Amino acid sequence: MTDIVEYVPLVRELHERAAKLKQPVNGVFELTSLCNLRCGMCYVRQSGGDKAPGVRKELSASQWLEIAGQARENGLIFLLLTGGEVLLRNDFFEIYEPLTRMGFMITVFTNGALITDSIADRLARCPPSRVEISLYGATSATCEKITGVPGSFAACRAGIENLLARRIPLVLKSTLSRFNVAELEAMRQMAHGWGVPFYASWLLSRRPDKQGSEVEDYRLSAEECVELEATDRASANELREAALSEKVPDSDSNFYCKAGRAAFIVNPYGDLNVCSLLPEPAARPLEIGFHNAWMEVVKYVDSAPAPSPECLGCRDRVFCGRCPAWSLMESGTLSGPVPYWCEIARARKKRYGRPADPSPIE
Amino acid sequence: MKRKDELMLQKVGGQALLIPLGAKVLDMNGMVVLNTTGSFIWELLAEERSFEELVSAVVERFAVEADRAGDDVRTFLDDLIRQGWIAL
Ligand code: SF4
Ligand code: SF4
Repeated sequence: MTDIVEYVPLVRELHERAAKLKQPVNGVFELTSLCNLRCGMCYVRQSGGDKAPGVRKELSASQWLEIAGQARENGLIFLLLTGGEVLLRNDFFEIYEPLTRMGFMITVFTNGALITDSIADRLARCPPSRVEISLYGATSATCEKITGVPGSFAACRAGIENLLARRIPLVLKSTLSRFNVAELEAMRQMAHGWGVPFYASWLLSRRPDKQGSEVEDYRLSAEECVELEATDRASANELREAALSEKVPDSDSNFYCKAGRAAFIVNPYGDLNVCSLLPEPAARPLEIGFHNAWMEVVKYVDSAPAPSPECLGCRDRVFCGRCPAWSLMESGTLSGPVPYWCEIARARKKRYGRPADPSPIE
Repeated sequence: MKRKDELMLQKVGGQALLIPLGAKVLDMNGMVVLNTTGSFIWELLAEERSFEELVSAVVERFAVEADRAGDDVRTFLDDLIRQGWIAL
């Protein structure tokens, strides 16, 4: 009567099931937008003026717990705590510890630099299901060039070791950019040296709030992205299958993810949104109740326009990862083509497409 | 017997899951899927229950014979005891 089920397929199946029922099983709490590092490509961090007047006030610990309690009543199970840097909140444990008694599978994203012995001890008393830490490089020079903070490489390594010493489940990852892509292999080796899983991602998006981030300077070219993908067996296989299946994605649905059907995000100011890259419709759970706010998100996604005619008619579409969030950031509408994705899709098609495929007229 | 407070039942549609709480997260490394009878018994175990009480509740709820219900309840309890999830 208790079944041991493989974790990843089970989680996927639960999300499918939840999406049909519009049950918000997956939630992100962006506890703060403040960060101790200053990565140029970041899409969240608020810089210097964060304490300046006019900046919205972040939710208090009790407000987060109020939202969590209501979200739980509505079926939330997988909860990600992220920032900014969550450990910059002095009251982090006033939020975290009660959450661990509410029946959530909790993941914590952090840059690791603030995980001292005493923080690690406190986490180990009621550990999350997983901590994910970002590596910015395999050397202090590269890491600190990106983070802009001297000493952050050593601090992050110490944080990782503090967690490992307490058997807290850990995953390492890296966001690749022009400045650290050369150290990908070395980062992978670092992770393997610790016996920890590692994954990398490299699709850098702009900031949804359109404040200055230097994403263009950091982004890899489409060819470089596709080259990297080819080194990652899982994504290369997926793309080969896409090429073989010739199946064009479900043509009239714009959202192909679980956002707004099984997933949501709450930003530091208490707005309930579709996802971190699509900060709409800014429903207010603390004012109208979580259920009503979630329904606003569901409605927002349900009533999104179809992809643009260009995308619907596009021959590279099976190779494209455009979604409404990318469209909004890069084209200002929920459905327009995203030039960066067009380039990637074209490069993928060149690599994985069948030779017999007629190439699109340029 | 009664369930311990180290796991919490959550549902997605008809699917019931036991989510580990507190330090239990480290031992379990995941979550447990319960079938309908399992989750029914788990809910009953919020209170102190005897084996007989559980069996007759299962008989009543699922309209099965007492023997079959007895076997099911025993298998389930064995699982829970092995994992240390109930206090006898
Ligand atoms: S970024 Fe796009 S694909 Fe990802 S959750 Fe948001 S809308 Fe969905
Ligand atoms: S974003 Fe570009 S590549 Fe993707 S479907 Fe639209 S037109 Fe095609």
